[in-house]
Amino acid sequence: MAGSALRRLMAEYKQLTLNPPEGIIAGPVNEENFFEWEALIMGPENTCFEGGVFPARLAFPPDYPLNPPKMKFTCELFHPNIYPDGRVCISILHAPGDDPMGYESSAERWSPVQSVEKILLSVVSMLAEPNDESAANVDAAKTWRENRMKFEEIAAKTVRKSLGI
Amino acid sequence: MRTVLLTGLSFVLTGAVIGNAYYQKKQFYPSVVYITKSNPSMAMLYIQAFVFVILMGKLMRKVFFGQLRPAEMEHLIERSWYAVTETCLAFTVFRDDFSPRFVALFTILLFLKCFHWLAEDRIDYMERSPIISLLFHLRAITLITLLGILDLYFINHAYYSTLVKGASVQLVFGFEYAILLTVLFMAFVKYILHTLDAQNENPWENKAVYLLYTELVLGFIKVVLYLAFMMIMIKVHTFPLFAIRPMYLSLRGFKKALHDVIMSRRAIRNMNTLYPDATPEELQAGDHTCIICREDMLEFSKKLPCNHIFHTSCLRSWFQRQQTCPTCRMDVLQAPRPQQVPQTPPPQQQQPPQQPQMPQNLFQGFAGMPPIPGWPPQQPVQQPGTSGASTTGTPATPTTPNAPGSGTHTVSATGTHPSTTWPTAVPNMPPFMPPMFPFVMPYGGQGMPLPPTRPEGLTDEELKNMEGQERQNVEARIQWLRDIQCLLDGAMILIQQYNTVASQSSIPNINLSGTPSNNTPTDTNNASSSSREKSKESSPVVNNDRDLVKDLSDLEGATGYTAYRRNDTHLGRSNTRRT
Repeated sequence: MAGSALRRLMAEYKQLTLNPPEGIIAGPVNEENFFEWEALIMGPENTCFEGGVFPARLAFPPDYPLNPPKMKFTCELFHPNIYPDGRVCISILHAPGDDPMGYESSAERWSPVQSVEKILLSVVSMLAEPNDESAANVDAAKTWRENRMKFEEIAAKTVRKSLGI
Repeated sequence: MRTVLLTGLSFVLTGAVIGNAYYQKKQFYPSVVYITKSNPSMAMLYIQAFVFVILMGKLMRKVFFGQLRPAEMEHLIERSWYAVTETCLAFTVFRDDFSPRFVALFTILLFLKCFHWLAEDRIDYMERSPIISLLFHLRAITLITLLGILDLYFINHAYYSTLVKGASVQLVFGFEYAILLTVLFMAFVKYILHTLDAQNENPWENKAVYLLYTELVLGFIKVVLYLAFMMIMIKVHTFPLFAIRPMYLSLRGFKKALHDVIMSRRAIRNMNTLYPDATPEELQAGDHTCIICREDMLEFSKKLPCNHIFHTSCLRSWFQRQQTCPTCRMDVLQAPRPQQVPQTPPPQQQQPPQQPQMPQNLFQGFAGMPPIPGWPPQQPVQQPGTSGASTTGTPATPTTPNAPGSGTHTVSATGTHPSTTWPTAVPNMPPFMPPMFPFVMPYGGQGMPLPPTRPEGLTDEELKNMEGQERQNVEARIQWLRDIQCLLDGAMILIQQYNTVASQSSIPNINLSGTPSNNTPTDTNNASSSSREKSKESSPVVNNDRDLVKDLSDLEGATGYTAYRRNDTHLGRSNTRRT
């Protein structure tokens, strides 16, 4: 019998293939290694990211689901909650336990109840509603807050780039 | 492409050097002498040797690992950099023994280290891939055997050369290979465990525990090896700067392994003692998928105090990291004792039908006052004696009843007495309280306390819980005392009610104190003072209670706690109404 992490990932993969949530495609990069996933996330409708398709990588720890995976966009994305190198900064991706900075309560953080689907859905909602309170990309947060026009312009550019136009 | 070019270049240059020497000297020995005498030629040959080592490494990698995964490559490069830096540091310590042979030995060490790391990574990969081919097993076994033999050979060699020639650089090699051997052994144990696990049809629950203990033991061996190495090095040579980083890492690894083992033991103990096994009915009733592993729970599952059910093994590995319920994040260690849950329901289920009857029978016959809208269930208590008591509408504060014996409550005809001791009884209420409220209210917010089980009715397990000195036992005893206190309070309420009824129908009152007195206020005073005394006597209990109350405030959201809070606010409201 394979490890519990592997079994859970396989179950989640099956679930995601059978009932894919709207605007999200995800699966292992290579079926020999279920701990590296690739996901395609569509920009949510009625937002400045609408129409874009953004690829991301998910790297699962060996003790998944006890610890959260790491998620990184492999395309350029100018967003307050995405680090310039593509790493995603959302609270459910943070390891369980209390935040040493006291910023997030432990209730927002990772727990084995979460799943890949929930992560990706949170990312979609993060794309739709950036949280400029805790910025991973300060420039993006500043632009979002002060110059929405410019932010939307940059977003439109990334959308076009993500589609290869 | 670049590597191929460089390799080709080095071969061409070596060929040129050898060809040149042979061309000049025409004979084997003179040309060898010529090459060894000429520095550029030697440099070229050293580079060629280096190229050979790399080619050899590539060949071995191809044989034993096939294609390296990107993560493995990254890992390897990162670790190699540290190893190279440390080797350079080690050179500074042994600059006296510096010779080509010495460099060659270090290169071999580095080379073997790389293979150990790769073997480690590869074995870890076993857990991640659903397909483990026969080739994988073959490679893993031959690699582990080969590396093991090499390690042992080098350790042996280092040992004898140290015995014969005294402490030298061989000391370093001996220790390095010993450390590598522990790494290899760990990989081997993992390999065995993973293979056994893969053969099993059912998930093997204890694998994680075995892994933890192996890690602990090997971590300890590593730490001991490094400490011994440090000591010997300081004695023989100088402070081994190059061993600081790996030593720190192994210390940290050992500390983590120790922590993991302790947490795992604690989790297992809690699992065995605190949480009941989920019954088949409970499993059938709800969704019987374990939310941690997303698999069906057919057996071996546990129920937490918050009524969430998980696999025992899943819970154990989670509790090793955090002691909260994965679903509702309730802190499972702070929760009220779960033994109570199976114990108390029977009396409770019997009580609700009894409770509403008594007050209704009592009061409906006597007082014919119209019910106050909004608080219909509560007024029977107030009606008989305190018809003059004003109902102030100030919002309730749940903290008021938390000051036992404060004496600020105005002594009305009824009602105040148990409020002083009430908070001690509150945590006793199991998480089933909310549905009971309609029945509890006729007593003015203080429900008839649940009768605790009689001492002779205690099960062996409960008695065992009360013995001993540990916190759990003390808590069990306190709980017991609380139950008794609760019962006493209940008796006081009943007496009080009897008295109020009796005062109206001119039946002699029950005298609570020794002195004869007929008016109820004194009685209640006595009652409250006696309960106050009691709470003074058992002051540690009260202190503990406050702690408990404080602790409970962290439990927002947990079923038991909501019940408690609602109870509490309700109590507060009824208090304000009474005063």
